[in-house]
Amino acid sequence: MSERRPYVRRQSRLWWASRTYRGYTLRELSGVGVAVYGAVLLAGLDSVRRGPDAYAAFVGWLSTPVAIVLHLVLLAAMLLHGLTWFQTLPKTMPRLIVGGQAVPQKTITNAAIGLAMLCSLALVIGALS
Amino acid sequence: MADRDRLTIELWILRYRPAQDEEPHFVSYTVTYTEEMSVLEALQSIKDEQDGSLSFRWSCRMAICGSCGMMIDGTPKLACSTFLRDLAPGPVKIAPLENFPIERDLVVTVADFVKKIESIYPFIMPKETKPVEAGEYLQTPAQMAAYEPFSDCINCMLCYAACPQFGANPDFIGPGAMALLQRYNGDSRDAGSRERLDLIHGEDGVWSCTAVGLCSEACPKLVDPANAVNQNKTNSAFDFFLRGLRKENHS
Amino acid sequence: MTRPPKRTIAPIFWLLFGAGGMLSALFGTGLVIVTGFLLPASPPSYQAAAAILHNPLAGLVALATIPLFFWHGAERLFLTLKDMRAGPRPLLALISYGAAAVGTLVTILLIFLMEFGS
Repeated sequence: MSERRPYVRRQSRLWWASRTYRGYTLRELSGVGVAVYGAVLLAGLDSVRRGPDAYAAFVGWLSTPVAIVLHLVLLAAMLLHGLTWFQTLPKTMPRLIVGGQAVPQKTITNAAIGLAMLCSLALVIGALS
Repeated sequence: MADRDRLTIELWILRYRPAQDEEPHFVSYTVTYTEEMSVLEALQSIKDEQDGSLSFRWSCRMAICGSCGMMIDGTPKLACSTFLRDLAPGPVKIAPLENFPIERDLVVTVADFVKKIESIYPFIMPKETKPVEAGEYLQTPAQMAAYEPFSDCINCMLCYAACPQFGANPDFIGPGAMALLQRYNGDSRDAGSRERLDLIHGEDGVWSCTAVGLCSEACPKLVDPANAVNQNKTNSAFDFFLRGLRKENHS
Repeated sequence: MTRPPKRTIAPIFWLLFGAGGMLSALFGTGLVIVTGFLLPASPPSYQAAAAILHNPLAGLVALATIPLFFWHGAERLFLTLKDMRAGPRPLLALISYGAAAVGTLVTILLIFLMEFGS
């Protein structure tokens, strides 16, 4: 009756795809999108270095359906990355105590997202002017 | 009360009796329940009326002892503060806490967790001990606010069941023990931060964490263990780069 | 007392990951809108584009941004592949961090050529 034989359950190899962890896996992959976008930036930079023809080809490629879809995906990835990044931010710092009370994590997240919107907006306005 | 409808719900309970069963398997039980009945009460009614061999841990019935943690429809919860009305119409799947070995039915092995808790010096280590006559170690409300939620942990281990990195690496110190560590490292009366941090710089320390964050969502006491782990990841990284600058003062 | 456990070099990759993550979280969305949608809609002349990029300051910004984006993605790729148990850990690290390292070297080389080349 008192036999002890603990049963160890194996973690599923596909745990990262389960409903519970899907959001986390998507968040991680959005970060891979950041690197893919880095490669696009590098290609554009290099096209300018190589001269007018290469630059024209790069700009032409940007208007192809493939490039547009890619950039829509990258835009979604950047948005997801930015949102989740600032949701995680308050977890990485000590509890912020102001006037004897802890600042809610939501406040920190919202302030950082506001700052990010300003930064991105500044880039867009700078490019348009 | 008397004329309220008697509702029934089906519970699928993962059973494992080490003397008889090769491996765990689900067994179905149907219980009648009322609006205010918890999962724990349903388990107790099964044990009383249907199958006395069903094993599960419980004590306080009011979400303070941390004994009755289990997977309820795939989510780690305290059975005493989870209500059948929220799970209707069912069937409800009830299993022992994920990521832990099963001792018997819904009872899991806690020995490793207890060892982790003990390993992080879970007591205040004052800079210098003073005699009782010298009075208390004083603390302002703001100093207390810096660590107070981390002291609310009830060791229910729901955060470990929510953590896939603990599932992948059972030696990972994990969210609960890190919350306790931060409870002391964040305490203004304590001077043991260095010793505790030195325990968690390794692969099985904070660096197994990938900031999934579900430990904090699982926590029934709003301890926010993800905060404890990740702020110490920052601390551990600082220490990694700046350790050359710090004065070594241990013998 | 037991000896403290061995340190890992994870903080190095974590720092690069964090820097790239912060930069892209702040500016990434705006950057993608500018280079992915505004630029092809009304492309600046080659002379204008070249003038901007030949400015050493632009070179420095690119030098900081692009490799950090690579290191951010590399950390997340490595951890995701590890989560997926896609192979032995040293191999996964080599693929992920190796790609970021190569990308960093290429970026440095190209920017050097652009700023100091003919």
